[in-house]
Amino acid sequence: MTEALLFLIVGAVAVAAAVMMLLSENAVYSALFLIINFMCVAFFYLMLDAPFLMMVQIAVYAGAIMVLFLFVIMLLGAEKLGEPTREFRWLAPLALALSVAFLVITGIAITQGQIDLRGPLVQPPMLRVIHAASGVGAVDVYADGEMIAENVAFKEASAFVSLPAGGRTISFNAAGTDTALLVEQVTLENDPERTASAFTLIAYGSGPTLTLVPDNLETTKDRSGRVTVFNAFDRAVDLWDMGSEFDDSDDRAVTRELAPGASVELADLPENTDLRAWRFTEAGSKEAALFRLNNPEIFRIERDEAQMMVVMSEPVLAGTEQDILRAVAVPLVSRALPSFGGPQAVGELLFTRYMLPLQLVAVLLLVAMIGAIVLTHKESFRPRRRDVRRRVAKPLTTAISAQIGRDVLQPGVEAPKLPQEAEQPEPVGK
Amino acid sequence: MVQIEAYVILSAVLFILGAMGVLLRRNAILVFMSVELMLNAANLALVAFAKQWNQMDGHLFVFFVMTVAAAEVAVGLALIVAIFRTKHSIDIDQLHQMEG
Repeated sequence: MTEALLFLIVGAVAVAAAVMMLLSENAVYSALFLIINFMCVAFFYLMLDAPFLMMVQIAVYAGAIMVLFLFVIMLLGAEKLGEPTREFRWLAPLALALSVAFLVITGIAITQGQIDLRGPLVQPPMLRVIHAASGVGAVDVYADGEMIAENVAFKEASAFVSLPAGGRTISFNAAGTDTALLVEQVTLENDPERTASAFTLIAYGSGPTLTLVPDNLETTKDRSGRVTVFNAFDRAVDLWDMGSEFDDSDDRAVTRELAPGASVELADLPENTDLRAWRFTEAGSKEAALFRLNNPEIFRIERDEAQMMVVMSEPVLAGTEQDILRAVAVPLVSRALPSFGGPQAVGELLFTRYMLPLQLVAVLLLVAMIGAIVLTHKESFRPRRRDVRRRVAKPLTTAISAQIGRDVLQPGVEAPKLPQEAEQPEPVGK
Repeated sequence: MVQIEAYVILSAVLFILGAMGVLLRRNAILVFMSVELMLNAANLALVAFAKQWNQMDGHLFVFFVMTVAAAEVAVGLALIVAIFRTKHSIDIDQLHQMEG
């Protein structure tokens, strides 16, 4: 309701400003009304989730371009034109009639034309795999026979790939071979609540088992990150924030009784949250620590990040005793989606899909700059005068007239006087 | 929630006002300003459709339109200044003969 009211008010101001721009006699007023109109359009950009464009609109249009207009208007003194001596009197009614006709046709087309507005386009869901099964070497991953990830080693994650929604057969092969270690049927469905649906397929345990976890890549809140904790260990764990080392009273359970194969999402963790006091423990016991997150190089929260922290079992001495396993937490970091219409999202598109148009536009701007300089450069409009010789040499007749005291060509007519140094008064002091 | 049609109709109205400015005004600078108004109306429709389809490409097009408009204004105003120097007028009714 508020939005509709704002739309009506600002829309009315925009149209009124445009009409006033057309009607005002003084070009300076027209420019100022146009600035009001641009501001209204910038407001609409904000209402339409385009904050970056709103900024550009105000800075470039209302700022730079309109200042250029005002500068030229005042430079030329062209605020007002003289008497209206129209040579094309038939143009005004014709333009009016054409405009009204165009408006009517457009209105009919928009309101009655049944424009196909099916709502937002849906991106295909994205899938990645995480290798958390210590007993299995590096794997290649295939979806319906097509490779989606190559040589994923233990404790690693593959990149996200887009797959068509629906049921898919995912198979894990030992790296470089055709022998399928694991085959799993997964169903990838689009989540209507999210702008992009993402899934993580985790292979873990001694089976190994495969679990499909919905991943959350939505835009994070300002200056915060998101951590999804997945338990790939063989028993349930707790996650504790121990706070200060010597003070038991500030201990806090972040999550309790996280069963194997279960996940929990910790949203809106502020960036640079101190994770050094966090530890995974046996379920139900604060003291029985399984793994401490005390390496700030690895365990940290950065803004716009969506981590999946997987607690997995790792052999203590690789290759010797398969039975001795310990818990290890591995953060697998991916970028959260940039917010719609924000500078980051615009920049990402600009430097990937629209790189060539960006370059072309840059060249165009350069050419326009050179063109403007050439056009306004004064000398380029005048033919160069070759008057060097004439200035140096006096006509012979003038010299003779000066000697004999009268004009040689036409008696009684004064000889044309040329600007000469001798006629100028001597500078004082010479 | 304002429907997409409302933005498109507003955009059409602004576009037509701009077109009328191009046809009716005689001051060349005002004609240029009306062209800017038309470009802005088109931009508004592009952003509205970008929101409707949840695709950022419309924003990129608006970005490029703005860049091209800046280039066009730079050259156009330079042309107006040059014409004003030679003819001492920027009344476009007096510029219909293609003489130097």
